[in-house]
Amino acid sequence: MNQQPLDKTMPWRQYICLACGLIYDEELGDPDSGLAPGTRFEDIPDDWECPLCGVTKTDFELFERQEITVSEQPIQFNREPGVVVVGAGIAGWSTVEALRTLNPDVPITLVSACGGDLYHKPELSVAISRGADKSALIRETGPDAARRLGVQLMPGTFAVGLSPALRQLRTTRGTLNYTHLVLAQGAKPVLPPQLPPSLCWRVNELEGWSGLQQALAGGKQSVAIVGAGMIGCELAEDFAHAGHKVTLLDRNTSPLAGLLPEEASSRLVNSLTNLGVTYYGGVDVAGITELESGKRVVELEANPSIEVDHIVAATGLVTDNRLALQAHLRFESGLAVDPQTLCTSDPNIYALGDCISIDGTPCRFIEPVKHQAQAIAHAIFGMDTVTYTHTPPVIRLKTRSMPVVLHGRPLAEGTWKTISQDANELIMEQYLGGQMVSQLKIGTSTQSQAA
Amino acid sequence: MNSVAVSSNQALWADDSQVLADVSMVGREQLAPAAYRIDHEGYYPLDIMANLGQAGAFAGHLDQYGARYGLAVASMQEISRHCGSTGFMTWCHDVCGLYMEQSGNPALLARLPDHTAGRTFGGTGLSNPMKAFTGIEKMALKARKVPGGYSVSGTLPWVSHIAPGQYCGVIASVDRDDGTRSHEIMFLLDLDERVTLRKCPEFSGMEGTSTWAIPLVDYFVSQDQIIADPARPFIQRVRAAFILLQAGMATGVIQGSIDSAREVEPSLGHVNQYLHDRPDELQAELDEMTEVTSRLCQTPFDGSKEFLLDVLDLRAWGSELALKASQSALLHQGARGYLMNSSPQRRIREAHFVAIVTPALKHLRWEMAKQMREEVPA
Repeated sequence: MNQQPLDKTMPWRQYICLACGLIYDEELGDPDSGLAPGTRFEDIPDDWECPLCGVTKTDFELFERQEITVSEQPIQFNREPGVVVVGAGIAGWSTVEALRTLNPDVPITLVSACGGDLYHKPELSVAISRGADKSALIRETGPDAARRLGVQLMPGTFAVGLSPALRQLRTTRGTLNYTHLVLAQGAKPVLPPQLPPSLCWRVNELEGWSGLQQALAGGKQSVAIVGAGMIGCELAEDFAHAGHKVTLLDRNTSPLAGLLPEEASSRLVNSLTNLGVTYYGGVDVAGITELESGKRVVELEANPSIEVDHIVAATGLVTDNRLALQAHLRFESGLAVDPQTLCTSDPNIYALGDCISIDGTPCRFIEPVKHQAQAIAHAIFGMDTVTYTHTPPVIRLKTRSMPVVLHGRPLAEGTWKTISQDANELIMEQYLGGQMVSQLKIGTSTQSQAA
Repeated sequence: MNSVAVSSNQALWADDSQVLADVSMVGREQLAPAAYRIDHEGYYPLDIMANLGQAGAFAGHLDQYGARYGLAVASMQEISRHCGSTGFMTWCHDVCGLYMEQSGNPALLARLPDHTAGRTFGGTGLSNPMKAFTGIEKMALKARKVPGGYSVSGTLPWVSHIAPGQYCGVIASVDRDDGTRSHEIMFLLDLDERVTLRKCPEFSGMEGTSTWAIPLVDYFVSQDQIIADPARPFIQRVRAAFILLQAGMATGVIQGSIDSAREVEPSLGHVNQYLHDRPDELQAELDEMTEVTSRLCQTPFDGSKEFLLDVLDLRAWGSELALKASQSALLHQGARGYLMNSSPQRRIREAHFVAIVTPALKHLRWEMAKQMREEVPA
């Protein structure tokens, strides 16, 4: 479809999904959903959906890499220490961009545990079936981005000590002083003791994903995914699409327990089953062992064990609280921040992204991050025109065969009501005391029907 | 266990402030005047260390005396403030006492009271095995099982606070018949007539720490000398406490440096105001460090990774600040600090020592990065 002569007179443009940040590149198209390379944005059918999060064309806008002015960064004696940002994921780099946009001169240092390369994290849970590898996911290398934005990048560096009274951050490559500190360290996978890190892959950042991707690259393999939350379900579908034999395990009877009512989760299970995924609900993992052949055995409580090539743990995330405790920063399941300015309990320290909590609740979605970065940059430069307004983001499950869209947050004590249903789609609403608290749509999209 | 409690001494050193006041007095009156001789001329101050032992400087951290790590570190700070070499030997002596007590070996516990009171002296030779355990270098001593104990051979380089008739805690690897590593043993090496200590080359400072190489040939280790067999679980348990105790060496050198900068403030303040790292600034950072140290001293045997990271961070921070403070003190004192026998001159070398003695600054950073990295399947 949409095969048209390539228009060479106009440069290729890029469009960004406002919901998830995916970039549609006209030059590359989106062959997975039938858009040939060279498909202009205006020629994309209206019912086309974002391959990552499922929103339609109207939620995309022209993406033009901002020309950000950077002044020469001379070595100055005794200059102000400037802003130190910890973490070079989307949150860290968004902060750097927001700061640099407002101020071409302020010294910025970016401390990164990894190499600092820019990639779009939500893509990790759909990238294996697309045949992508690490290099395909990297949009810009850390050093290139550091040059473009005039920051000092410290790759392979861990933040290990923090003394707010001294405005001092200690790292594994020496001590940094800061005028303002921005913590964007993300969250870490939680591994229960039964799941040893040496035997279980986790998909939370590019390096970890890349190890798994390489391990799965050698042909069809069997994979057990422990945890059927959002990431577990998305990975199960992704691996199954890539031809692997997937077993998805969860201690709850149904996947996405707590988010979906039974009527909805059974559709998800059916969809996964049709793709060849085996779903085991209501099972507890007792332990993992490694056989001499290199195969791994998932031992289950009160159930026969399962032998697989690889195990992926998708058992949730937690924010490391060591620095916060050491620095006496308020911590409530995440770094507690002011909901408008993202300032922590220390006036010179801000935080955003997966490592924060607002009113005691962490918020680990991509959509608010850019807004949070904007608010922090404005607060740091004393411009209070832009503040952050927190609303729970729409949850979109990237399970292409059975997309799930959830507005609001379901409550355990709420009552679900079916609004409409047919073989392909189910729409429900949840009420508590006459008040609608969430809205759910689960169903086969037109896009995947066409594909 | 630890049945050989010394009740009389316990009463004697029960008051923290009294111990600190006594240690401080020995520091001011005996160590400070001898510091140059110790650092430069190689005077090994066992007489002064005996007085420090009597004052309770080597007791605080021991379970028998209430596991007051804060007191042990504060005593070490007071000593290091006047003489970094003796501060370092205090650490050697303290951890040797820690090994003896934590071993639970009745023969070693029986020797602990003399050690604690500074009537006998012993150090630690764990630099090499600590580095060997983390993969930085190879284990220097090898042990072979023989009837009634082990036979040990090999050469341990650079062990401090030892002399003929003294002792030190060391570790040797035990190999299987096929040459693969079985495990390691830790024991108290008695430097008796079987051992001839080998002189080390001249160091740039800290010459009075009585540092020697120990060559061993078929040295028999009896059950009475065993600290831990196997050694790894023991080291795992005492590792954080072992490193945490070193905090006193760093904070003492830092405090001494601040003292030196302050000393010349009346005469040189009008020009010193143009310098970086002024004494008030350094003192504020040291106070912050002291607060962190006190907190960590509450739970020296916390086995969590987070606690170990906190301790490694503190130790690295101590090295960095000691370097910064000693440099600043010399600049504050100017020409008089450049005299060979001046305290700031000596503290430059002491601070360098704090930053290179095991665990060295670079090893600390390397280890913290290792601890922070997430383990993934091979």
